[in-house]
Amino acid sequence: MGRYVVRRLLQMIPVFVGATLLIFLMVHVMGDPIAGLCGERECDPATAARLRGEFGLDQPVWRQYLTYMGNVLTGDFGTAFNGQPVTELMGTAFPVTIRLTLVAIVLEIVIGITLGVVTGLRRGRPVDTSVLLLTLVVISVPTFVTGLLIQLLLGVTWGWIKPSVSAEAPLGELIVPGLVLASVSLAYVTRLTRTSLAENRRSDYVRTAIAKGLPRRRVVTRHLLRNSLIPVVTFIGTDIGALMGGAIVTERIFNIHGVGYQLYQGILRQNTQTVVGFVTVLVLVFLVANLLVDLLYAVLDPRIRYA
Amino acid sequence: MPEQPYEPERAMAGTGMGGQMDLAASEATSLEKTPAGPEGTGPEGTGAEDKARSLWSDAWRDLRRNPVFLVSSLVICFLVVISLWPSLIASGNPLACDLAKAQEGSQPGHPFGFNGQGCDVYTRTVHGARTSVTVGVCATLGVALLGSVLGGLAGFFGGAWDGFLSRITDVFFAIPVVLGGLVLLSVVTGNSLWPVVGFMVLLGWPQISRIARGAVITAKHNDYVLAARALGASPSRLLLRHIAPNAVAPVIVVATIALGTYIALEATLSYLGVGLKPPSVSWGIDISAASPYVRNAPHALLWPSGALAVTVLAFIMLGDAVRDALDPKLR
Amino acid sequence: MLLDVRDLHVEFHTREGVAKAVNGVNYRVDAGETLAVLGESGSGKSVTAQAVMGILDMPPGRITRGQVLFEGRDLLKLKEDERRRVRGAEMAMIFQDALSSLNPVLTVGDQLAEMFTVHRGMSRKDARARAVELMDRVRIPAAGQRVKQYPHQFSGGMRQRIMIAMAMALEPKLIIADEPTTALDVTVQAQVMDLLAELQREYRMGLILITHDLGVVADVADRIAVMYAGRIVETAPVHDLYKAPAHPYTRGLLDSVPRLDHKGRELYAIKGLPPSLLHIPSGCPFHPRCPMVRDVCRTDVPPLYEVTGAPAGRGSACHFWRECLHG
Repeated sequence: MGRYVVRRLLQMIPVFVGATLLIFLMVHVMGDPIAGLCGERECDPATAARLRGEFGLDQPVWRQYLTYMGNVLTGDFGTAFNGQPVTELMGTAFPVTIRLTLVAIVLEIVIGITLGVVTGLRRGRPVDTSVLLLTLVVISVPTFVTGLLIQLLLGVTWGWIKPSVSAEAPLGELIVPGLVLASVSLAYVTRLTRTSLAENRRSDYVRTAIAKGLPRRRVVTRHLLRNSLIPVVTFIGTDIGALMGGAIVTERIFNIHGVGYQLYQGILRQNTQTVVGFVTVLVLVFLVANLLVDLLYAVLDPRIRYA
Repeated sequence: MPEQPYEPERAMAGTGMGGQMDLAASEATSLEKTPAGPEGTGPEGTGAEDKARSLWSDAWRDLRRNPVFLVSSLVICFLVVISLWPSLIASGNPLACDLAKAQEGSQPGHPFGFNGQGCDVYTRTVHGARTSVTVGVCATLGVALLGSVLGGLAGFFGGAWDGFLSRITDVFFAIPVVLGGLVLLSVVTGNSLWPVVGFMVLLGWPQISRIARGAVITAKHNDYVLAARALGASPSRLLLRHIAPNAVAPVIVVATIALGTYIALEATLSYLGVGLKPPSVSWGIDISAASPYVRNAPHALLWPSGALAVTVLAFIMLGDAVRDALDPKLR
Repeated sequence: MLLDVRDLHVEFHTREGVAKAVNGVNYRVDAGETLAVLGESGSGKSVTAQAVMGILDMPPGRITRGQVLFEGRDLLKLKEDERRRVRGAEMAMIFQDALSSLNPVLTVGDQLAEMFTVHRGMSRKDARARAVELMDRVRIPAAGQRVKQYPHQFSGGMRQRIMIAMAMALEPKLIIADEPTTALDVTVQAQVMDLLAELQREYRMGLILITHDLGVVADVADRIAVMYAGRIVETAPVHDLYKAPAHPYTRGLLDSVPRLDHKGRELYAIKGLPPSLLHIPSGCPFHPRCPMVRDVCRTDVPPLYEVTGAPAGRGSACHFWRECLHG
C-alpha cells in the first residue's frame, strides 16, 4: 500500500505539471497580463515595459512558467489585479467554496443515496418511475438554468430565500445554492445507487443471506447496501474536485464570493496570476481527491489490492 | 476513475447512464487494481462479423419497440429540420426587435411574448436551435473522430504510446471544463461558432479516447480475435474487421449522450459571456439576457430554457436507449 | 417424516410467456436420509429446492399449488417472519458457486458468526468463537487466523467447506445441497462430498443432494428422484435404480455415462434437446425423445406408477415401465 501511494504521488507530478502548463499557456494566450494593472486607463509604453521586466514577461514562456512554479512552491502565488496577494484572495474565497461544496456533498449523500435506495428496492413501481424521470430532467437541464429557475421561484416569487448570498456566506444561505450545485451529481448518485442495488439484489450472496434466515432489514443493510454503495462512494469522492471547479456557475447566479467569483473576475481583468493560481489549487484538489478515492476503494472492497 | 469537472459532462464520464461503460473502461485502464476473483472469460463468439451484425440487428429490433427511443428520435428529427429551415415554422426575423414592446407577454402572432430588448421570443427560440444543433453535432463529430482514433490506436498497440496518451488524458481530465472554456474563449473577439466547437474538441476528446481504448482492449482479448491473430491476420485487418466493429458501440453511445452535454455546455458558456455573443442567436445568450428581467418577464427566460432542456434531454435519452439496446447484459 | 413435498407447482412469468418450471413434484426425505435429485439443467430440480427453502424470487416466480410439509407443518402457509426463522436454523442450503455465494466484502468469520448472533442472540465474541470452532469442524487449517480473511483468499475447496460450515452452524434437520461440488476440481470434489456425508451421518440430518452427476449419487445417496421437465419421472432406492431403471429417460442417462468396459464403442446420447418450459410437450413430456414412444405417450400424461415387485416406494412415470424394467 505504501509503495502504491508513493507511485501514485510520483505519477501525479507529470499530470500536475501538464495541467498547470496547459492552463498557463491558455492564460498566456488569453491576453496581456499587465493590461489590467494600470487601472482603467491604458498603460503608457514606458510603464508597460517596466512592468513587463518586473514580472518577467519579456522572458520566453517556458521560463516564465518555471519561475512561476518556483514561486508557487515557496507559497508565492503572485499579485491579483487589485494589488492584493493572490494567496490573500484564496484565503477568503476557498473557505466559502469549500463550505458550498460540503453542503453539496452532504445533500448528494443524504438525498441521492436515499432516493437511490428507495427506487432500487422498488423497481418498476410508480415511485421508481417518477424518481427516474425526475433525475433525467435534472440531468438534462443545465445547472445555470436550474439555478436561475430556483432563484426565480424561491427567491423572487415566493421569497423564501434571499436571491443573492451575503458576503460572509453563512451556511444557512448556502443550502439552496448547494442544492443547485449538487443537482446533477445528485441525480447521478440516485441513478447509480439504484442500478448498483438492482444488480446486487440478484446476486448469489444476497440469496445466501436470505437462505441464512436473516431478517430483511439485515439482508438489505449489511449485505446488499454494503456492496452496492462502493461505486457510489467512489463517485462522490471524485465529485469533490469536480464540484469545486463547477461552482463557477452557481457562484455567479447567487453572487457568492468564492473561487468561481474570483476566477471570473481574474478572467475579466485578464489577471494571469489569479487565474493560474486558483486553477493550480483546483487541479491539486482534484488529483488528491482522486488518489484518496482510489485508496478508499481498497478499504471498502477487500478484493482490491494495490501492488 | 477521474472525473471531468463539469456537471453535464458526467453523462459521459459519470455513472448511471454512460457510467457502466466508463466504469468498465476505466477498470481496464491505468488503475493498478487486481480483482482477485477468477478472470472473466469474455463473451464467446464465432466470428467478429457475425457477432457484430447480430448485435446491431438485435439492437435495432429492440430500439424500434422502445417508446423512449421513438420519442427522442422524433424530437431530434424535428430539431434538425427546424435548424435547417427555421422559417418553416417561424417566418419572422429573430433580429427584428422593437424596444417599445420589451417584456410584453403573449399576444396574437407572438405566442411566447417579447424579451427585454423587445425581440419576439418565439422566433428567437426557434432560430436558436440552429446554433445548438450545429455546435452539438460538429463538436461530437470532431471529438468522436479524434478520440476514437487516438484511443483506439493506444488500446490496440499499447506500450509507450498508450502510456503517454493515458497521461495526456489525465492532464485534460484535471482541468475543469467550464474554466478552460472561460479562459480560452475569452480571447476570442469574433463571433463565430468554430472557436466554441474547436474548444470542445480540444477538451472533449480524452473522454471518448478513454472509452475507445477500453473497448478496443476488451475486444482485443476476445477469443475470436485471438483466433484470427493465431491464423495470421494482419494488424490492420484485425483492427478494422474484427476489433473496430465491436468497439464502436460504446463510442456511439457515449458520443450520443455527449452531444446533449455539448449543447448544454455551449449555452453555459454563452451564459457566462464567452463563446457566442449577440447578435448571434443562441439559447444561452437569450437565457443570459433574460435573467436580469426575470421578475417582470419570466417567459423570456422560460421558453429558451425549456427548449434547451428538451433538446439535451432528447439526446441523453436517445443515448440511454441505444446503450440499453446494445448492452446484452441488461436484457 | 422430515420433509414431504406434495404436488408442488411453480411458474415463472417471463416476457415470452409463462414458464412452467415445476409441475407437480412429490418427494419425501426422512431424518438421516439422503435423497439425490437428478436432472438436466431446466428440469426444475433447483427451483423445487428454492421453493422448499423459501428463497424463490417472487415475482417472477409463483407457487401455484402444493404443500411443503416440514415436520408436519406446511411451510407455504407460514408468515414470512416464521418462515425466516426456519431458514438457516432448521433447514439450510449449500450453493454451487461458493465464491459468488459468499459476501465478498465481509470476512468469513463475520458471515459464520452472523448465524449465531441473528438466530441465537449470541454476543459477537461468543459467535466469533463458535465460527472458529465451525471452521475447525470442517477441517480448515489454522482456523483461528483464517477466520479474519475474506472469501477470495480461500481456495475453491476451502470456500465450499465454509459454505458447509455455515449451513451446519445451527445443526439444522435438513440440508439442501445444490450441486455442491460441480464448481470444484475433481480431486477436491471427493473430499468435500465425504465431509458432507460424514457430517450428515453424525448429526442425522436429512440431505437433499441436487446434482446431474451420476457418479456422485451412487456413493452417498439412499434414494434417487429423477426429474424431467418439472416432474419426477422415476424414484427408487439408489442401487435398484442403477441395476434396472424403470423409465426410458433414466435408462438413457445411465447409458450415456462413459464406461471403461465399453471402451471403443460409440457413446450413447439421448436424442433431441430438453423441452422448453414455455412449451412442454403434450402427454408424456419425454415422448419426443423417447426410443420406446407409442401413440398413448403423445396424449396421456403418465402418473407416477408404483413399481410393483420392487422394494416399497419405487415409482416410474412411464406407461410402459414394465417393459423398460425388463427390457
